[in-house]
Amino acid sequence: MTATDPTATAEEPVEVAVPQRPTTFRRGKGLVGLVLVGVVVALGVIGPLLVPWDPYEQIPGANLLGPSAEHLLGTDDLNRDVLARLLSGIRVDLLISFGAVPAGALLGCAIGALATLNNVLDVAVQRLFDVLLAFPQLILAIGLAAVIGPGTTSVVIVVVTVEIPIFGRLLRAAVLRVRESQFVTAAEVVGAGRGHILRTHVLPNSLEPVLVQLALSMSVAVFIEGAMSVLGIGVSPPHPSLGAVLTTSLRYLDLNPLFAIGPLAVTAVLVLGFQLIAQAANAARGA
Amino acid sequence: MTRYLLRRAPSALIVLWLASVLIFLVLRAIPGDAAAALAGPDASPEVVAAIRHDLGLDLPVVTQYGQWIGGLLSGDLGRSYLIGGDIAELVGDGLGNTVTLTLAALVLAVLVALLLGPLWAATRSRWVDRALTAFHTAAVALPTFVTGVLLIIVFGVLFRVLPTGGVPPNGLLDRVDITVQYLVLPAVCLGLPVAGVLTGFLAETLRGELRQDYVTTVRAAGVKRREVVLRHALRGALPVAITTLGLQTGALLGGAVLVESIFAWPGLGLLVEQGITRRDYPVVQVLLMLSVTVFVLVQLLTDVIHAWLDPRIRLGAAA
Repeated sequence: MTATDPTATAEEPVEVAVPQRPTTFRRGKGLVGLVLVGVVVALGVIGPLLVPWDPYEQIPGANLLGPSAEHLLGTDDLNRDVLARLLSGIRVDLLISFGAVPAGALLGCAIGALATLNNVLDVAVQRLFDVLLAFPQLILAIGLAAVIGPGTTSVVIVVVTVEIPIFGRLLRAAVLRVRESQFVTAAEVVGAGRGHILRTHVLPNSLEPVLVQLALSMSVAVFIEGAMSVLGIGVSPPHPSLGAVLTTSLRYLDLNPLFAIGPLAVTAVLVLGFQLIAQAANAARGA
Repeated sequence: MTRYLLRRAPSALIVLWLASVLIFLVLRAIPGDAAAALAGPDASPEVVAAIRHDLGLDLPVVTQYGQWIGGLLSGDLGRSYLIGGDIAELVGDGLGNTVTLTLAALVLAVLVALLLGPLWAATRSRWVDRALTAFHTAAVALPTFVTGVLLIIVFGVLFRVLPTGGVPPNGLLDRVDITVQYLVLPAVCLGLPVAGVLTGFLAETLRGELRQDYVTTVRAAGVKRREVVLRHALRGALPVAITTLGLQTGALLGGAVLVESIFAWPGLGLLVEQGITRRDYPVVQVLLMLSVTVFVLVQLLTDVIHAWLDPRIRLGAAA
């Protein structure tokens, strides 16, 4: 049954614009997303233990080798095992996705929620968010990296800064929406304070959109890490990350295109996984 | 219409002003003295002081900010520390290439969305629906650098049919057929995410339109499905499509920097990358301001076009 089936449209209210997809597919999407992310997490956590090479070790005579039984993904320009570097690099991206993104989200939510308690503060915070959101994400990353300098810390700071206004806005909108509902009015009538209402009624009811955005932002974080590496302002050598391993491979595409396949595949799987989870979570909200 | 624009413009100007202060102050906060860096490690304090005076770095910060903004407004973008030359000239050199690339990507994205969006909304085939769902998810999710490298590997390394970097040796305007060959990979790479997002929104809005009562009426009168979608529903979906496109400007501006880096396309993105690696802050400062200005203005323009297409917003705003 497609979304435009006339028999399905008959009973539905006119203003509903949410796409109606079959439930099984929705479940499928979320499940596939979880599996994809799960595979990458497993690779990052267990993988480095299974590879006999150290990601920093320079192996004598092993310069830019192609794939072999000894080096499954070959070796790089500095005689290091690409698979070992890739697997260790995954850890950096997992740290950024599961560490920096939630940190930024938490800060943003806290700022957004607290600001709604005071009108003057609210206006000031909204203007600040306006300005931060006026920068395209990657442009903001470039500006911040110009100040802080390249490195893992820089990537973490960029991701946190990008997330703060997004989650601040999101939570504020949710808070304002829930605050209008009758049960909140009822709580006010019996004399509950604004802080109490925010904690016990408004926040728990604002979490859904936050969770969807969290999955989306994790996907964006992997993108930012890789993009900053490509631009030379990301995780700095000799440390590996998905972006760093990919960037090294770019110089040898003509010589050995397989060098790039590992980081490309892992990045694609991770980003697609987060995206599918976000889509499934969003569809579940709309249902 | 004018009244709507006048109502919306002040807040855009305030955001731009605050952004300019932020950019200026943040780049001033960078550790290390530009004058000392320029003079070199062995320079005497007098030389450093002279250079500092030359660059105007000995003036109060407020005066420096005033000079910078005054210059920007009168078209004087200042001088580069290290790359050398007038920033206006550097920007002028890259601007044409970046605009060409971005427009090509935009046209491509709009064409793909206009083709696939209605198809996705109206299709009854499960396989078409699945294929388009897969295209949409991949186009939206895959980072620009992943598709860029894949395009290079497939078309530049495995099949060797298209150039994978740079611009035509005789310039973009010399021979159009050669320019198109150089343009196609970077433009596809830059346009793909926008095409994905736009296709998704268009299809979703069209599905909503198709559930409206007027569609049932027109269908009952014997109009074909395809005609309902193309002639009636598409018009209703246009405001949403325009807004979506406006919101994608940010992704395009950021994406252009990446795509230019991957495909060695000598535009403003490559200039900003150079500015950062060589710590040439006046250049970075101007380019950051430029991209914020474009982003904010396009969003303002989008709102105005949206209001023009949808009288409910325009009249609501006037009331």
